[in-house]
Amino acid sequence: MRMPGLFAALTLTLAATATLAPAVARAQEAAPVSTDPRIKFKDGDRYLRDLSETFEIPRDEICRELSRYDCSNKAFRIVLGGVDPYDARVMQPLDQATLASPIAFDRVALQVCANRVAKDRADPAKALLFKPASGRPDRAWRDALTDRLYDRILRRDASVAERDRMAAFLEGVEGRTGRSARGQSEQTLLACFALASSAEAAFY
Amino acid sequence: MTSGRVRRFSGLRAWAAVITAVGLSALAAGLASPGGEAVAKPPASMEFCKIYPTAHACAASPVVNCTTCHTVPPARNLFGAQVAEHLAPGAPRPLSDADYIAALPAALKAVEALDADGDGISNLDEILKGSAPENGDSRPTAVSCTPGQTRSAAAGRWNTCGYDPVHAWRKVVLDVCGRSPTRAETDAFRRRLPNESSWREGISGQLDTCMRSPYWLGVNGVLWNLANAKISPVDSIKAGPRAGSIPLADYEWDYNLFAWMNTGDRDVRGLLTGQDFVKRVSDDPPTFALVADADFKGMRQAGQNVPREKRAGMITTRWFSTVNTMFTPIPRTTAAVAYRQYLGLDLARMQGLHPAVAEPVDYDAKGVAAPACAVCHSTLDPLTYPFTRYDGIIRNNYNPNRLKNFVRTDGPRVVDAPEAGMIFGQKVENLTEWSQVAANSDAFAQKVAWDYWKMMVGREPSPADQAEFALMWKGLKAPDKFNYRVERMLHALVLTEAYGRP
Repeated sequence: MRMPGLFAALTLTLAATATLAPAVARAQEAAPVSTDPRIKFKDGDRYLRDLSETFEIPRDEICRELSRYDCSNKAFRIVLGGVDPYDARVMQPLDQATLASPIAFDRVALQVCANRVAKDRADPAKALLFKPASGRPDRAWRDALTDRLYDRILRRDASVAERDRMAAFLEGVEGRTGRSARGQSEQTLLACFALASSAEAAFY
Repeated sequence: MTSGRVRRFSGLRAWAAVITAVGLSALAAGLASPGGEAVAKPPASMEFCKIYPTAHACAASPVVNCTTCHTVPPARNLFGAQVAEHLAPGAPRPLSDADYIAALPAALKAVEALDADGDGISNLDEILKGSAPENGDSRPTAVSCTPGQTRSAAAGRWNTCGYDPVHAWRKVVLDVCGRSPTRAETDAFRRRLPNESSWREGISGQLDTCMRSPYWLGVNGVLWNLANAKISPVDSIKAGPRAGSIPLADYEWDYNLFAWMNTGDRDVRGLLTGQDFVKRVSDDPPTFALVADADFKGMRQAGQNVPREKRAGMITTRWFSTVNTMFTPIPRTTAAVAYRQYLGLDLARMQGLHPAVAEPVDYDAKGVAAPACAVCHSTLDPLTYPFTRYDGIIRNNYNPNRLKNFVRTDGPRVVDAPEAGMIFGQKVENLTEWSQVAANSDAFAQKVAWDYWKMMVGREPSPADQAEFALMWKGLKAPDKFNYRVERMLHALVLTEAYGRP
């Protein structure tokens, strides 16, 4: 993986993340904004359980910091809404997210997506997310990728507006990653990260 | 659809912060100061709810916080100052508790139409609707959807104007099963939407299924974690499987008992009155089985010693006595923890004070009869006496002569401490009676409902939730409603607007 290019594109992704999923909501919402929203954080345990199922990666393999520490049960247990009553004496999930929570959440999302895309590259016959374009990446390839990602991560169809936004995003990223198969896999990884770290994926 | 909504205010948190900052002893000293202009009256926190049973603050707890009338007791806030002006005017100060309680209803009545904080809303309206009568920034607000919005919301992705069955069902899957529903499951549920009884059945069935899942019932599952604060586990002193370095007791009995009493067709009052123990036969699927008393033989620290007839559910287990009573003859911490964790009344916040006449006696010579201490200890000590016959660390048994062991360290009078005590102003002969009174109280039902509400809804009951929250805890007590069955209450909870409105 070409890390400098990836990091540059990641910056672009972070900006896009904030707009992708909400854009759908705006496009589809006919209802007034909730007057008393009660959304809840999915927490690291449920988040990884969902992604383990949807990405078809065993739960104990899907995210490990330093290749050793499970992201939810060990590395980021408390900041991702878990408890540790026996040693740290944290009896209940923290009422407020910590400053480290969004950082940890992004790390987990990026690692999980990288994990899946790496498996897709290693075994194209069993690929779930990354499927290289037969020729030059075009709108059809981008739309197909978008549909796979929304189906797998958010478990719903992408709206027209969401497909447009994702296509524009992928085109922008392509300028940095190039059109090669490697570039396409990096685009897939970043698009995956954009959705996996969206509010819709993190809250319910 | 219209809902009464009020701006949230953080009185409880502010109060907790103040307590921490100022220190409890300094606070108690201020409360008890007879020479000051203002003297706080702890009994007021419960009297208030007797006078205004429909007030928002009284829906979730039988007591209000001191900050209803005080900034930092004994200093009064704007509302408290108005009440004080009308409280037995001309009578010599300080008022006795009895005189104070007698005068309080008239004083509150006199200020109902006034507006202490000048926000244009009367004190009474603010009390009933849950905003703070002393805070001009806290006011009830009515938020509603127009008929057009209601129609568009009902047809939208989320029904933000009312109960949204798909949203509620998805939350049940995530909250109780611990996973997001698949697309196929969601599509199947959506097909139920045209028929209300069908989608209600779908939510109910999903809840039943999930409530048998390891995520809900298993080790480190939802119910397990709900009990963490009540049990306060420490691995270093755990006995039994995966014992720590100093094995003193096994908390797994406590977790199993908690899960047992909160599931199936079992009376949740058993948390305080139960005399059985259960073991976890399997964690997937979660399965429990009652344990015969003979099974504890030879288990030493990993077992239970208190004889069946002296047991009081979670508050006489070996673990509870070990971590709370330890080596104390008059285990005030044990009583205070039971009062806080199972009845929702935190004496450190002056909640649930019912001063007993001629108390505290100070049998163990700790100085609790000093005026600054007696404010709380006149409630806490008689609340504690029924716990005095239960050993802490080491024996973990019921021992009617236990206090003889403490004469050398706590003075000769310690053996005079009675086993009889008081809870909620009611005399009880022993801890089993204590636990019966506690388990049948409003405070117990409110605490059970509160714990589940916070976990399921995701926040404490807000002023807007008052009516639905009251239905939960009152329904929990009602024989013809939930009859102390938690799972029945949860079936109703997931159908509340608080749970199902996005």
